[in-house]
Amino acid sequence: MISVRGINKHFGEVRAVSDVSFEARDNRVTALLGPNGAGKSTTLRVLSGVLRPDSGTATINGFNVVESPLEVRRSIGVMPHDSGIYTRLTARENIRYFGELQGMTRSRLDERIESLLDHLDMRSFADRRTEGFSQGQKVKVALARALINDPKHVLLDEPTNGLDVMATRSLREIILGLKAAGCCVLFSSHIMQEVANLCDDVVIIAGGSVQFEGSLEGLREKAQTADLEDAFIALAGLEQTT
Amino acid sequence: MNVIWTVLKKECVDNIRDRRTILSSFSLALLGPLAFVAMMTFVLNKALGESDTTVEFTLAGADHAPGLVAYLEGQNTEIEQIDLEPGQDPRVLVTSGAHDLLLVVPEDFAERFENGRSNALALIYDSSELGSAQRRARRVDSLVSTYSRTIGLMRLQLRGVDPSIAQPVSTRTVDVASPAERALMVLTTLPYLILLVAFMGGFYLAIDTTAGEREHGSLEPLLTQPVARSQLVLGKIGATAVFALASLCVFLIAFYFSVPFVPLERIGMSLDVDIVAVLMMLGVMLPLVWFAAALLTVAASFAKSYKEAQTYLSFLILVPTLPVIVAQVSGVEASLPLMMVPSLSQSLLVQDLITSEPITLIEVLISAVSTGVLALGLTWLAILLYRRERILI
Repeated sequence: MISVRGINKHFGEVRAVSDVSFEARDNRVTALLGPNGAGKSTTLRVLSGVLRPDSGTATINGFNVVESPLEVRRSIGVMPHDSGIYTRLTARENIRYFGELQGMTRSRLDERIESLLDHLDMRSFADRRTEGFSQGQKVKVALARALINDPKHVLLDEPTNGLDVMATRSLREIILGLKAAGCCVLFSSHIMQEVANLCDDVVIIAGGSVQFEGSLEGLREKAQTADLEDAFIALAGLEQTT
Repeated sequence: MNVIWTVLKKECVDNIRDRRTILSSFSLALLGPLAFVAMMTFVLNKALGESDTTVEFTLAGADHAPGLVAYLEGQNTEIEQIDLEPGQDPRVLVTSGAHDLLLVVPEDFAERFENGRSNALALIYDSSELGSAQRRARRVDSLVSTYSRTIGLMRLQLRGVDPSIAQPVSTRTVDVASPAERALMVLTTLPYLILLVAFMGGFYLAIDTTAGEREHGSLEPLLTQPVARSQLVLGKIGATAVFALASLCVFLIAFYFSVPFVPLERIGMSLDVDIVAVLMMLGVMLPLVWFAAALLTVAASFAKSYKEAQTYLSFLILVPTLPVIVAQVSGVEASLPLMMVPSLSQSLLVQDLITSEPITLIEVLISAVSTGVLALGLTWLAILLYRRERILI
C-alpha cells in the first residue's frame, strides 16, 4: 500500500508538484496518468526516496519515505524513466549487481535470477553485454533488476516508452502477473489506451496537482463520456491548451 | 562492508572492459619508464659522446699533408683514405652517398704549407641527410682548427713573436655541469612522473563512476537501492584507488626492470634501485593513491557529463605537480614542515629513495598522516555531495 498526502516539491522557481495526494492499493495496478511535465516523475522520485518533498508525507508499507528510507527501499522495486543499465555488463551481471547490493545470499540470488530470466523470457540474451540491446530488451533488464528482491511495491516510470507492440504486450502481461502475485503496482504513463488496458485505478495529474483519483468506471462517470481519452483530456484540463 | 565490496568489484569489472579506461590508466605507467631510460641514455651519450666516441670520416689526398694526417690519426679518429681521380669533383662522392663526410686536402697543400701560405681544406657533408655527419663535421672542423692554431703559434714562436699577439681576445668556455649532474636533472623528473601515474591511473574511473553513471541514467536506480550512500561512494572511490594503485605498480615494475638499461656506470654513477627501495616507494605513495582517488571523485561528482568531467579533471591533474615545481624552482630540501604537503612530500621522499639518500621514519609518518587526513576529508566531502538530492538533477 502506497499513500501520498499533500506532497509539495519545487526546484528553484518551478513548482513541480503541489499538494499531491493519492493512494495505491495492494493487488491492484494504479496508473499515474498525465501529460509530459505534469509531475509524474517527481512524484515517483519522492516515493523512491531520491527526492525529498518540501512538505507532505508519503508512506510505503507504513514506512515514511523520508524518515525510514532504507526500510522503504527494501520493499520497493523501481524502474526509473531511463532504463539506466550498464552497457559493459551482461544482462545477468546487471541484475546480479543489484541483488548483491540488496545483500541477497548467493544461492537465493542465483535462484531468483533464473526464475526472472524465464519469467521475463530473457534467456536468449542473458549473457550478452547490454550494449546494442533493443529498447524492449533494455526494459526487461531494468525490470528484472527492479524485481530482483521480489518487492511488494513496484514503481515504473513510463515503462512502455519506446517499446513496440509485442514488447508492450509482453510488459502488460508481466505487470498483470505482478498484480496477481499480490503486488501494489504504480506506473506512470501519458497514454490513455495503455492505462485502460491494464490498470484498476487511475490518478490523473496535470500541472503538478491531482485532477482525478478513482477507478476507470469512476473516470467515465465523472467526465460523462464513454471514451476514456476524451475523459482524460477533459479532466487533465488539456482542452484549453490544445 | 559487503556493499562497498560489491560496488568496488562491479566498477572494476565494468572498467576493465573499457578500452579507453585501460589505455588512459596504464599507458603512462608503461611508457613512462621507457621514456625515462631513453632520455637518460640520450643525455648521457650527449654528455660523453663528443670526446669519447671515435670520429669516422673519409680523407682524400692524405699524401699531400702527412703532418696533418698524423695529427688527426692521433685524435681518436678512424680515417678512410681515398685518392681522387684527376679532375674529379669530390662533392659527387658525398651526394652519391659513397661517403658521408669527406675532408679534401688540395694538391698544392705541401707547397703552400712550406711557403707559409694559408691553405683551405674542403670539408664536405650533406646537412639534409639524417645521421651523425653534421656532428662529426664539427669535430673534424675543430680538430683541423686546433692543428692549424698549433702550427701557427709554433711559427710565430720560431720568428720570435709572442704567440699571444695573434690572439688579442679569447674566450674559455667552462661547462660546470658534469655528465652526472645532467643525468641527475633527468632523474628529478621521475617523482613528477610517479605523481602523474597515480593520478592518471584513477582518471577515467573517477569520471565513469560518477559523471558517467549520471549521464547514462544508471545513478538513479542505484540510489534507490536500500544501501547507505556513503557505502556507494566508498566503493566508487575504492575502485578508483584500485586502478590508481595498479597503474602505480605497473609503473614501478617497469621502472625496476628498465633502470639497469641506463648506462650510468659510464659516468661512474650507480642507481641502486633494489626491490626494497621500490617497495618503499609504493608504501610512501599509498596515502597519495587514496588522496588522488578521493580528489578526482569529488571533482568529477560536480560534473553532469563525461565531457564536463574530463575538462575539470584535466586541469585538476596538474594541481599535484604544482607544489613539486615550486619546490624544485626554489630548490628546497626535504624537511619536516614540507612533509605536511600531499604530493610534494611523496615526491621528495621518492626522489630520496631513487638517489639512495636516507629517509627517516618520522618524515614518512608525517607525510602519510597529513595526506591521509586530507584524503579522509575529501572522502567525507564526496559522501556529502552524494547525500544531496542535487546529485541526480
